[in-house]
Amino acid sequence: MKRYAYYLSCINESMTKEVDRSIDLWQKDLGIELVKLHEGTCCGGSNLDYVSPKHFALVNGRNIALAEKMGLDLIVSCNTCLMTIRTAKKKLDESPALKKEVNELLKKEGLEYRGTSEVRHLLWVLVDDVGLDTIRQKVKVPLKNYRIAPFYGCHILRPSTVLGHDNPLDPSSLDQLIDALGGQTIPYKHKNRCCGFHTLLVAEQESLNVAAEALQEAIQSKADFIVTPCPLCHTSLDGYQAKALKHAGVEASIPVFHISEMVGLALGYNAKQLGIKRHIVG
Amino acid sequence: MTAPNDQHNETKKDVTFRVFRFNPQVDSKSYFDDYTIPVERGVTVLRSLNYIKEHIDASVSFRAFCQAGICGSCGMRVNGLSKLACTTQVWDVLAKSREKDIIKVEPLRNLPFIKDLIVDMDPLVDKMKQYSNWIDSTMPEASMGKKEFLISEEEFLRYDKATDCILCASCVSECSILRANKEYVSPAVLLKSYRMNVDSRDSIHEKRLAELVKDHGVWDCTHCYRCQETCVKSIPIMDAIHGIREDAIESRGVKDTSGSKHAEAFMSDIEKKGKLVEATLPIRTNGVLWTLQNLLPMAVKMIMKRRTPPPPPLVKSAKGIKIFRGMFREMTEHVKQDHKSHKK
Repeated sequence: MKRYAYYLSCINESMTKEVDRSIDLWQKDLGIELVKLHEGTCCGGSNLDYVSPKHFALVNGRNIALAEKMGLDLIVSCNTCLMTIRTAKKKLDESPALKKEVNELLKKEGLEYRGTSEVRHLLWVLVDDVGLDTIRQKVKVPLKNYRIAPFYGCHILRPSTVLGHDNPLDPSSLDQLIDALGGQTIPYKHKNRCCGFHTLLVAEQESLNVAAEALQEAIQSKADFIVTPCPLCHTSLDGYQAKALKHAGVEASIPVFHISEMVGLALGYNAKQLGIKRHIVG
Repeated sequence: MTAPNDQHNETKKDVTFRVFRFNPQVDSKSYFDDYTIPVERGVTVLRSLNYIKEHIDASVSFRAFCQAGICGSCGMRVNGLSKLACTTQVWDVLAKSREKDIIKVEPLRNLPFIKDLIVDMDPLVDKMKQYSNWIDSTMPEASMGKKEFLISEEEFLRYDKATDCILCASCVSECSILRANKEYVSPAVLLKSYRMNVDSRDSIHEKRLAELVKDHGVWDCTHCYRCQETCVKSIPIMDAIHGIREDAIESRGVKDTSGSKHAEAFMSDIEKKGKLVEATLPIRTNGVLWTLQNLLPMAVKMIMKRRTPPPPPLVKSAKGIKIFRGMFREMTEHVKQDHKSHKK
């Protein structure tokens, strides 16, 4: 059983509770144990970095230091948390002065940021550590009847200087996961585009346009559902779907799944257990 | 990544350039023309287009000048990605091409179309004017020509990378928000505004910032990082956008725009609970009225699906919040000291 520290994203503790719930169902089936970091705090959601760069370094240096204390890599299941914490890690690793300043404060809690734990997305753990062959062997209900649109989202791909796992122009890890689960990926131009989430409260019309484009392509391509590794993309594409499509004058709908639910379905769990019924689009 | 194959080791081959064609004066709709030409390894997309224009079809229209990645004229989409034709090697494109030995060439997006591969750059120039993207000198006119401005290396480094921009508009073409609304300021303009705003020789920082925080300005960026990823000069454009936002919050406070209120909410929630209080985020960003008008129907659906975020009293603080809060507040004191010494 390979162990990891698991970062609790704010959105997964409030609106998208089904993400952590579904991971809890199947993590042992795939030979991994995700130890929840209840001491972890909000990463700043790609906002704290410019509101106060030093608080940003402290907060995320601490999040990583909590995992380092356990000697484990830090696993994240939200793209923006991933990009944000990795950005902080890069800044701390590149600036001895900043690292020293942060560590002076972390001492109060008996913590130290050393830079020894990697910060990785759950998708990367599934593809690289668990491995596609193992996943294939564990599948009980292959998703063979489904045409699936893989929506990667931005912050698992860009900036590539911070992320670096997939080619941002032609990402493949989610496609590989879908394939291992027996599903069929459709060619999807919006796979590496934006969902508009981060401006939903600031520039709503623009965000809805962005979301509507991604939804429309999946609908026109006759995909059965969209799958995303990010709960923020899910909120934009599922929660705001009716509004976005109405705004675009489209009368149709398409379900949007989290990767954790898609994995759960293929491993034999049902929609109710996985929390799929909590989605806005049924 | 796949190992280099024999195909990539070839030194010469026939390549098909699938070129976007549209002349609004004669064509009713756009189409693609295929030109298959012999290309040697080391040849750029621009040299290939020049060859096509000189030897096959003189009517193919594109803009180009320096052929060395300096002037920024030949921005176009090569196999879907906005870049400079003159610095893009045919062999590099073919290595990632989905269709064997075919390169699709199209005009930039998000700017008005003129002909074939040419777009109208005027909206970009107009926005540069709208946001006063030039230095209005702090030096009295009487001193000009008699005195030098001395700039510290530290200051220069703040805008060094931003000055590398050659206005090729690749970032403009890739921008998610501009695609959704052509009035959006656009990444190249924000980059230039940042470069001017951090220059101590400039006297209109406040005026420029006041324009930047208005609708369609700096707060409308959705952090998709497409601009930065495509930049032909590898400029960290998002750092510039974040730099303007940091400056806006520091100089103008958080009261005048929904974007700044939204950003500040993260800071205060983290200090209080270590967790984001999502339930009240729309109200704190846009007020009660906006929230009721815009989010009520969705809120009803969310309640029915038990998907609403918990109300503030039910948001559990992160474990060990007291010690964390102490550290957070101590860092606030550090930042205050930094600002004081920065002002000196």
